[in-house]
Amino acid sequence: MNYMPGTASLIQDIDKKHLVLLRDGRTLIGYLRSIDQFANLVLHQTVERIHVGKKYGDIPRGIFVVRGENVVLLGEIDLEKESDTPLQQVSIEEILEEQRVEQQAKQESEKLKVQALKERGLSVPRVDTLDEY
Amino acid sequence: MAEGGEPVILEDYLLVEDVPLLEEMAEEDEELDLYNEMTFGLDRDSTEEDAAKPLMPPETSPELAKVVAEETEAGEELGSGAAEQLEELGEPQEEGGMELEVEQVISELEEEEEELGTEEQEEDQDPSEEPNDLGDPAVMRAVQSKPTLESQDSAVLDSRIGTCWAEFGKEDMLAMDPVVWGSCPGSIPPHHVLEDKAILQVLERPPPSTNMALDFLGSPMQRGYGGSPRLKHPGFRLMSPKSFPQRFLRQQSPLMPRSLCSPRPFTPARRPSPLFASNQTAGYAAPTPFRPISPHISPPQPLTMHFGPVSPSLDPALFFSPSASSQLNLSTPSHMTQLHPQHQRILTQRQQQGGQAQSISPKKLWSPKVDPYAGLMTSKEKDWVVKVEMIQLQSENMDDDYYYQTYYQRLERKQAEEELLGRRNKQEPPKLVTPFIQKVETYDSVVRIAGSLGQVAVSTCYSPRRAIDAVHHALVEEAAGSHRLRALHRIEKLFLQLLEVEEMQRKMSLAPEEQQPCCQEQKSQEVERIYQALKIRACSSEEEAEDEFLQLLCVQKGKKLTARLLPHLPREQAEKILLTITHHLPFLMKKDVLDESLPLLYSPLNEVVGGMTFSNLIKVLQEMTRPLPKSPELPLTMALKNQFGISLLYSLLSHGERLLSSDVPLEPCGGDFEMWTDMVFLVARELSQVPKASLVEPLFLPSNLLSLFCRYLDKQTIHHLEAKMECSPLLSEAAMLC
Repeated sequence: MNYMPGTASLIQDIDKKHLVLLRDGRTLIGYLRSIDQFANLVLHQTVERIHVGKKYGDIPRGIFVVRGENVVLLGEIDLEKESDTPLQQVSIEEILEEQRVEQQAKQESEKLKVQALKERGLSVPRVDTLDEY
Repeated sequence: MAEGGEPVILEDYLLVEDVPLLEEMAEEDEELDLYNEMTFGLDRDSTEEDAAKPLMPPETSPELAKVVAEETEAGEELGSGAAEQLEELGEPQEEGGMELEVEQVISELEEEEEELGTEEQEEDQDPSEEPNDLGDPAVMRAVQSKPTLESQDSAVLDSRIGTCWAEFGKEDMLAMDPVVWGSCPGSIPPHHVLEDKAILQVLERPPPSTNMALDFLGSPMQRGYGGSPRLKHPGFRLMSPKSFPQRFLRQQSPLMPRSLCSPRPFTPARRPSPLFASNQTAGYAAPTPFRPISPHISPPQPLTMHFGPVSPSLDPALFFSPSASSQLNLSTPSHMTQLHPQHQRILTQRQQQGGQAQSISPKKLWSPKVDPYAGLMTSKEKDWVVKVEMIQLQSENMDDDYYYQTYYQRLERKQAEEELLGRRNKQEPPKLVTPFIQKVETYDSVVRIAGSLGQVAVSTCYSPRRAIDAVHHALVEEAAGSHRLRALHRIEKLFLQLLEVEEMQRKMSLAPEEQQPCCQEQKSQEVERIYQALKIRACSSEEEAEDEFLQLLCVQKGKKLTARLLPHLPREQAEKILLTITHHLPFLMKKDVLDESLPLLYSPLNEVVGGMTFSNLIKVLQEMTRPLPKSPELPLTMALKNQFGISLLYSLLSHGERLLSSDVPLEPCGGDFEMWTDMVFLVARELSQVPKASLVEPLFLPSNLLSLFCRYLDKQTIHHLEAKMECSPLLSEAAMLC
């Protein structure tokens, strides 16, 4: 049992497989080897997982040191249930291609939206020029 | 390189005496590659020569690989002569590019080959980029490799762990470079390590304790291990397999933190701290550093750890040192901060129960195969992190760690309830003041550097959350300045005071019963101070612009200030404010045209109205009907065109109606009722006269208005008014009854 009840600590999570979601949208999966008081993480045998639709692809990345403030959330992966997923793993090239296609489609629809708004005299600031939050 | 091809290590030829072992290693490399490929992608380098084995960084294009192969062939030809040359050579070339790493290996000879290499490189650059160009240099290789056991069964961490362990013998000790943090023990065949000039240099360097750059890397295991002379310690045991390729070792300079190396060459048993031996892998046990330490434990090698930021202000006793903590006197209460008492109780209970082994997660699927990388974070390090976290919990400020505070409050409440119900026979043991951490210094919360703008963020491990103080400590008094500026300044000052009052209020509600009266007094004093500072006084219409209170009210924040202050004020003062606002309503409404923030005041004023006596109500209403010197319109009429105004009016009328229709004796002053009736008629008249278009919808339409009008007016007028006021069908029924 956690000997700091009422608080959250990553101490119990050391050496376990985790899924980490970063602020830039990346998903990392790796063994959590080390932490510090800022929740900076050291991930071992890390794999970056890209999801597009029902498919995903893993890119092996090695060791990651993640600055704590960039983590949105993380959670332990249940190794028993890990393979029990409806998602289909594909090769890296395929998933990157799918991602590219998805990005393109999004950009195009965004462009159309902006165009339509412009015609109506409205302008929405681009997301990348806005503050993150 | 085809799958399963052997990487050629040039240095094999440099230390000739190690050739026999080399051959063994060469065979192992094959297996190595499989593992490497799994983690880092297939290496395309395709040198198949048995003799020459250059180390290839995975990103190398096939063409470059060929080049390197040629280079190594050339190197081969030079034979043993190269060995001496290479050994004599100087600095490892610390180039960042991966392709250039190969040159590190070959050094002098490379320069010739380099030209050869680059030529070929340039030729073949473009086609080589395509397959490699996944747009991300970190993507080593994306080629289908044969599925490894690891990928198919996630429970398997390393399918070759068992096979490689026996192969390492004492010679591997030589490969151990304790200076390098987490140097790879077994993953790199020792000769290759020694042949790496970089490693050689490091080994020959003086002991690492003098090397500041490595200090922060130097975990206790390093210190405890000492320098190279201790390499041959017989008790040393290697654990990890060759999980990381030699190439990675080569790519780094010895000074760089070897982040890509496989970590933790030591087994837990080698740790100099037997205190946590039992707790190594099995989760995390009770906070043993917090109690007086038994004398048999030897002090750990490093008394100071340099993890994370090294703050000169850190008390060395903070870090785990049994001798130091044994000096801590548990029984003396002190000025030291402490954990939440409930938390302390839990901790002491735990200590009393002794170090029970923590339950290991039953889902440890890989338990038959020990995770070779487990324990990278030593228990000392975990302790340290936990210590810092505990320090973070100790805070005077209620806002820090809301969940921690709430958790314990709820726990206490539950226990108190249970106690009440008689389930618990004895009280909890009295609060223990466990001097967990002694704050050696007073923390300077706001650091101002002369001539700088704003504050410098100062956060130590004592208060890691405190970046800057949002409260402005040095309030600058402005002598001159426009009215508006002064008004704004006053608002800010008063707001700060108001926030303190609200804080007091909040603390009061959480504090035990006995403390409440004195807190209440304190709070009232503060509130009184703010009220006085508002400088509410009677003023004529000409002076309205100059009146300080009204100036405040012209600013949106000033309205917010007043709105938030109203609930805390005593009745008379609140009513005074209401009176003032109503008196100057036209002025305020005029000033509010841009902001439209008057409705902020509606809600608190509504509350005030709801508690007024009839006479006071009449007084307020009278303000609305006094004629204005400069305008033919009544304030009343103007109010009808303003959302706040009409809402306030309705609120006043509604309250009056409520008072009249209730049974409470009104104690009116003389002439009150006549005033009232006049008021109602006046309102009705104005309402009917005002064109519907300029009539504004109020913030809230009280339901008893129509019944009020019913009493005094005829049906026709009522229907007319009803239409004007856009009452709901339900209310119109009330009209029907009239």
